[in-house]
Amino acid sequence: MKEFDELLFNEEFRYTEEHEWVSVGGAELMVGISDYAQDQLGDIVFVEMPEVGATFARGEQFGTLESVKAVSELYLPVGGEVVAVNEALGDSPELINQDPYGAWIVKIRPSDTAELEQLLNAESYRSMLRG
Amino acid sequence: METTKETVLHGWHVEQGANMALFGSYHMPLWYRSGTKAEHLAVINAAGIFDTSHMAVVSLSGRDARGVLQRCFSKDLRQCLGRGPLVDGRAVYGVFLGDDGTVIDDAIVCQLAEESYMVVVNASMGPAVALRLRENAGGLAVVINDHSDRIGKMDIQGPLAARILGRVLREPGEAFANLSYFAFRGGFGDFVAQRPVVTVDGTPLLLSRTGYTGEFGFELFVAIERLPALWEMVLAAGRDDGLLACGLAARDSLRAGAVLPLSHQDIGPWPFLNNPWQFALPWDSGGKAFTKDFLGGPALLAASWEKHTLPFAGFDARKIGAGEGSLVTDERGRAIGTILTCTTDMAIGRVEGQIRSVAEDPGFAAKGLCCGFVLLDEPRQPGDTVVLSDGKRRLTVEIRADVRPSRTARRPMSAMPGLEAEMSTLRAEVNP
Repeated sequence: MKEFDELLFNEEFRYTEEHEWVSVGGAELMVGISDYAQDQLGDIVFVEMPEVGATFARGEQFGTLESVKAVSELYLPVGGEVVAVNEALGDSPELINQDPYGAWIVKIRPSDTAELEQLLNAESYRSMLRG
Repeated sequence: METTKETVLHGWHVEQGANMALFGSYHMPLWYRSGTKAEHLAVINAAGIFDTSHMAVVSLSGRDARGVLQRCFSKDLRQCLGRGPLVDGRAVYGVFLGDDGTVIDDAIVCQLAEESYMVVVNASMGPAVALRLRENAGGLAVVINDHSDRIGKMDIQGPLAARILGRVLREPGEAFANLSYFAFRGGFGDFVAQRPVVTVDGTPLLLSRTGYTGEFGFELFVAIERLPALWEMVLAAGRDDGLLACGLAARDSLRAGAVLPLSHQDIGPWPFLNNPWQFALPWDSGGKAFTKDFLGGPALLAASWEKHTLPFAGFDARKIGAGEGSLVTDERGRAIGTILTCTTDMAIGRVEGQIRSVAEDPGFAAKGLCCGFVLLDEPRQPGDTVVLSDGKRRLTVEIRADVRPSRTARRPMSAMPGLEAEMSTLRAEVNP
C-alpha cells in the first residue's frame, strides 16, 4: 500500500468521493480512477465498460472494475453521453494500475458542465484522503 | 472484542508496503508492491514465499496419541497411504468434524514418530482443535499442546522451490532425496522427525513437501525466533530466479485454481458430504460405509444432505463477489444455490473453450479466469453451466471437475528441472 506522500494526483482533474476522476475543459471529458483507488484495489484484471452512445446521470453506475479480490462499481462523476470507451483496457486492464491518470475508461459529452463545480478539486480530494 | 494478532514477520510486511488486511484475526499481507498477478504467476513460473505463521500447530504425544487422532480425525490412520498405515515422516490431509458431521476445521496430520504427531490447522483454530482432542483423551496416555503463535512457518511454492531452498540448506541433496508429496523430514525443538534438516546458518527446520497452492513446494516450520532470518535468507537466495514474497490474495487465487477448500468458507458448519474432498473421509471400497468409527462419521452416514459443493470456472476474468445478496441461478433465473468462493486464477485462460495455463506455454498471454466453489441445492455435472448473480450482474460459469491444468504439486523431486545437478554442485561448494 502506498504511503500518503507517495500517492499521485493530477492537479487539473476533479474527483469524486468514490475516487473517480474527470478531466476538465473541452467538449469531451475523460473519466478514470485515482491512484489511491488503483492502489487499494490491487491488480485490475477486467474492466466492464458501457456501450458508446449510452447516457448516464451523474452518480449513476456506468461499469465495473475487477481486481483479483473484488468487484468495484464505477460511478459517473458528471452526467452525459458516452462518446468513447478505452478499448486498450480490454487487452491490458493493468494500464489502470500503471498509469491511473493516463488510462481513461470512458470519454463523455457532459449534459451539464456545471456539475463539475460540485466535484472535489485535487486539493480537497487530497484532504479527504488525508482524513 | 477480538484482538488483532500479528505474526513475527508483520514488521517486514508493513515495511515492504504490503496491502494489509485482517484474516482469521491476524493482520496479514494481501499483496506486496509487485501485485497479486505477479505473485500468482511467480508461483507458476518460478517460486513464491508466503508467511503462514498465522496457522496453528497442535501436538499430541504419548502411547494413546494415535488412538485419539484415529477417533477425532477423519482419515483412517491404519490405511491412508494407499492401503498402508500412516508412518513416520508422512502426512495426511483430513478434517475434524463435530458430532453432527459439520466441519470444525481441516488439518494436516504429520507423524513425527509412532507416539508423536504434529497437527497443522488454520489461523485461530488451535484452541478449538486442542479442545476437541482433549475432550476425547480423558484417562488416556496422551499430552496435547496448542502451540498457536509459538511456531514460525513459511511456505515456498513453485517449480523452482527446491532449487532456491537448496541454496540455504547445508545438505540439500539429502534433505530433498526422494521426498515424496506429503512427506517431511527434519525438525526443531520438540518436533523431531527423521534426519535433521539444517540451514547454512545452523537453523534446524522441519521440511514438509506440502502446501496450499497446487504447485510443487514446501512448508517450513522453525522456532519462531528464527523465522525472520530464514525468510530473508530464502528471499535473497531466490532473487535472481524470480522468487517473490506473496500475500494472501495470491494464495487464495492459487488454491482456488487448484480446487483446494478454504476452511470456514468452502467447508464449514454443514455436513462434509457431496464435495470434491471426499478423499478426506475413510470411505470403504463400496463408498457406503467407513473403514473406522470416528467422531462425526455416524452423523454423515445418517445425514440427508442434498446440497452439492462444486468447483467452477468462468469464461473470462469477470467475477461476482461471494458476499451477501449473491446467488447462483439456473439459465432461467431460478435460484439454485450460493457462491462460496469466487476469485481469479491469473495463470489461466480459455483457448477455443479449453482452459490453458501459462505453465504449459510461457508465451500464452493468459487473461485470467474467475473460479471458485458454489453450493447448489441440486446436482450438476462438469460441463454444465450455471449463472452467478449479485442482483445486478449475471455471469455464466461452467461447473468443473478441475480448474488449473498442469499443476506441479505431485511431480517427483527428480523431475524438477536442473535439481539433481545443481544439488551436487551446491554440496561441493558448501562442504568442500
